[in-house]
Amino acid sequence: MQNQTSITVDTLSQSYADKWSGAEMEQTNAFIQFMYSNDLIFVVLGVTLIIWLVLLFFIFRVDKKVGALEDQLNSSGDHEA
Amino acid sequence: MKAWKYIVAVAMTLIIAGGFLVQVPQIPILEQTARNLFFHVPMWMAMYVMFLISFIYSIRYLNTPNIYFDIKAESAAKVGIVFGICGLLTGSLWARFTWGTWWTFAEPKMNLAALALMIYFAYFVLRSAFDDEEKRAKLSAVYNIFAVTTIPFLLYVVPRQLESLHPGADGNPAFSEITAPELRFILYPAFIGFIALSFWIYDIVHRYKTVQHHLENS
Repeated sequence: MQNQTSITVDTLSQSYADKWSGAEMEQTNAFIQFMYSNDLIFVVLGVTLIIWLVLLFFIFRVDKKVGALEDQLNSSGDHEA
Repeated sequence: MKAWKYIVAVAMTLIIAGGFLVQVPQIPILEQTARNLFFHVPMWMAMYVMFLISFIYSIRYLNTPNIYFDIKAESAAKVGIVFGICGLLTGSLWARFTWGTWWTFAEPKMNLAALALMIYFAYFVLRSAFDDEEKRAKLSAVYNIFAVTTIPFLLYVVPRQLESLHPGADGNPAFSEITAPELRFILYPAFIGFIALSFWIYDIVHRYKTVQHHLENS
């Protein structure tokens, strides 16, 4: 049963085989070619930058939220900062 | 939001990109992992600065028992530990692919760095043992002064006297003569950048704790 389904179901590799083999570097745009260069190091750079920018966004948000709480506290009461 | 935070955000983005983009010297075994220098070493620099800030505020607390000094000392120690853990994890991964093992007890700097972090974990264990705010602040400030004095010995003095795979062992210079000079154009900005980033996180943490303190005592 399990084996049969795995045989009868067309896999992605079959459906897309011609598309994948057609994706040669000459046919792609400059950005993709750039990313393929230098042993794919730019892909690692991209991943790292995505992580960094998301974390940065988060840090900014938390900083702003703490700032808002401080403002709330300052306006509501008597205390030294 | 202060202007320096935007500068740190932009500068760190450039430093990370630069760390990947500059040409590194081709050294067998090390290969492209030489770039780890830009990320692994600044973790420790940030940790040192955070522990130093924590130390300064512990002294200030003992001088003037103001609870906000204690909050700052605690926050800085916390951020320092986070950067120290990042340093240990990145170092362990790097070691696996250059030295061939995740962890080795033959490498003093690695083990002593872990020991230094445990000394700081104990700081937080100590803190959690007190319910009374002033007692906690005073005793943990005393402990913190002890803790920080171990750092230069554990991470500089002792590892340099022993055989080690880290640069700087056996009395060698750690950096000046054996590292390609062009790496410094990224490494030194990375030191400043990561230290500034750790200071930013510390800034958020101690402000959050201050607000929390006000809410709990109002």
